[in-house]
Amino acid sequence: MLRGYLFTVLGIAIGVAGLVSLGAMSERIVRFIDGGDRFVLGQISVAGRGMGMGAGFTAGGLLPASAVAAIAAVPGVAGVQPQVMLPLNPSTSQFMTLTQELVLGFDLSVPMPNRHYRSLPVRAGRFLRDGDRRVAVLGAAFAASRGLGVGSRLTLEGESYEVVGVLDRMLTAPDRFVMVPIADARAQWVAKDALLRTVLASGAMPLTASDLNTGAAVGWRDGEDPDAVALRIRERVPGVNVQLPSELSQLLRSSTAFFSALLAGIGVLAFVIGGLSLANTVAAAVFERIRDFGVKRALGATDLQLGREVLAEALGVTLVGGLAGIALALSLGSFIDAFVAGGNQQLFHFSPRLLGGALAFSVLLGTAAAAYATARVVSVSPAEAIRRAS
Amino acid sequence: MLRAVGLVKSYRAPSGAPIRVLGGVDLTVKAGEIVVVTGPSGSGKSTLLNVLGLLEDGDGGDVWYQDDRVTALGRTARSRARGGYVGFLFQSFLLLPSLTALENVLLAARYVGRSGPATRQRALDLLAEVGVADRRDHFPPQLSGGEQQRVAFCRAVLNDPPLLLADEPTGSLDDANGAVILAALRGRARAGGAVVVVSHRPEAAVGASTVYRLRNGALESP
Repeated sequence: MLRGYLFTVLGIAIGVAGLVSLGAMSERIVRFIDGGDRFVLGQISVAGRGMGMGAGFTAGGLLPASAVAAIAAVPGVAGVQPQVMLPLNPSTSQFMTLTQELVLGFDLSVPMPNRHYRSLPVRAGRFLRDGDRRVAVLGAAFAASRGLGVGSRLTLEGESYEVVGVLDRMLTAPDRFVMVPIADARAQWVAKDALLRTVLASGAMPLTASDLNTGAAVGWRDGEDPDAVALRIRERVPGVNVQLPSELSQLLRSSTAFFSALLAGIGVLAFVIGGLSLANTVAAAVFERIRDFGVKRALGATDLQLGREVLAEALGVTLVGGLAGIALALSLGSFIDAFVAGGNQQLFHFSPRLLGGALAFSVLLGTAAAAYATARVVSVSPAEAIRRAS
Repeated sequence: MLRAVGLVKSYRAPSGAPIRVLGGVDLTVKAGEIVVVTGPSGSGKSTLLNVLGLLEDGDGGDVWYQDDRVTALGRTARSRARGGYVGFLFQSFLLLPSLTALENVLLAARYVGRSGPATRQRALDLLAEVGVADRRDHFPPQLSGGEQQRVAFCRAVLNDPPLLLADEPTGSLDDANGAVILAALRGRARAGGAVVVVSHRPEAAVGASTVYRLRNGALESP
């Protein structure tokens, strides 16, 4: 049935490949933003009042152990996990970008308080355990970019770390994280920050190791309103920056508004370019067969018989073209992710909803274009149809 | 078998002025007859054949296939009448390039609800009768003009239609191949079919029951 449709199938495949590729880039950005949003809505993020001691979701200063204890005592709080978040390379400013690489230290004596990430999905090896030292769990993109796996060794601030686990690809921030026990993160912080070393050496502040936290993740009890708990912490614990989950989510959304607008534009472009290309290819394939339609009508074909025939062919051609386009987009995306982007960035996300939607869209649009073209073609007499093609 | 009364057809010139091509043509063709219509290019021969075969509408007049006044039918019924009553043979063969010779012949059966082994066998027999059985799996571009017209003839007669309309059937052929096609048309009439041939070639008139000349929109006996 598809004999003679090679160029039509190719045309459709190219249109669908464009649609799917642009859609996959859009999906990638959506997944990143949604992942971040899901994370910040799962916990209350707290930092010490001040500016820029470390890096993290909450800008702020040192969060000492006394503040952590005070937060834990606030009614409605279920758990407080001190954390240290540092830029892997302090000489670059990559905060809240797609290429951000961070060291994240967890206090593993406290369960993960984030309601949406009680544990992080480990693809190979294991996650950190309480009592671990000099071990690391890597985000998938970080591990891939450096060719690291379970058992590999990684040097951070002059110290060698054993990689004990690699996370599943999450398509959001943790993909580029190095996760270590909080004691190791604190040591790295001191090693990175000359000012902090000076303060500690001077004895100007009575600090112990447990005071070196860039922030804390705070969980709330079942039935509590997280924003209300956050406000309660803000009222009762002095000297801290508290982010309401809803505020942080809004902040994240507004800071990624450019990406949202970009992906909306990409989506519209994908539909217009891919859709027009596909519809034009199918309609042109029908129009160029006007003589065949004239002949078939001379042989007794009714409008209904021709319509059924063309729609069945259009369905087959767009299905094959659509699948070929998806295969082309997958190949192209995989190639770009593997080679062009250096293997440390995933630029495309081919979700099932995107692939299914693109196939359904191409089949529906192709069939509609074929139906339109057929209606135009059968509106002329068989003699005229034969004459036009001569 | 075929009766046409008062067929009128005009076209619009680029200037918008009407050009009358058929000015009230009457024609009757009985089963077993070959009627040949001659005339110079542009005289309206093909238009007459198109109107007789319901490939385009006339501006006036009526056409009967046997007792059916087919010019009064709707679109779908006209299509069915074409499939049931008429076989067409065109100067440019009009084979579908994406189909093999055999598939082109079988195409005639597709739209009239005939299919199956018997129809396929008849198609193969017809191809053998006109000497192109060995070309059945070839595509039209792989066939000579004479072979293509033979395949087109098989397609035209596959359903054994009572009426065969041939528009310059030898116009694109050499003499030898033209003779084969004309012989096949005469054989069709001898078998009881009604045949109308429009041609500007004098040899087409050999063996015809009646020969007309189309001039100024009217049929004249030469």
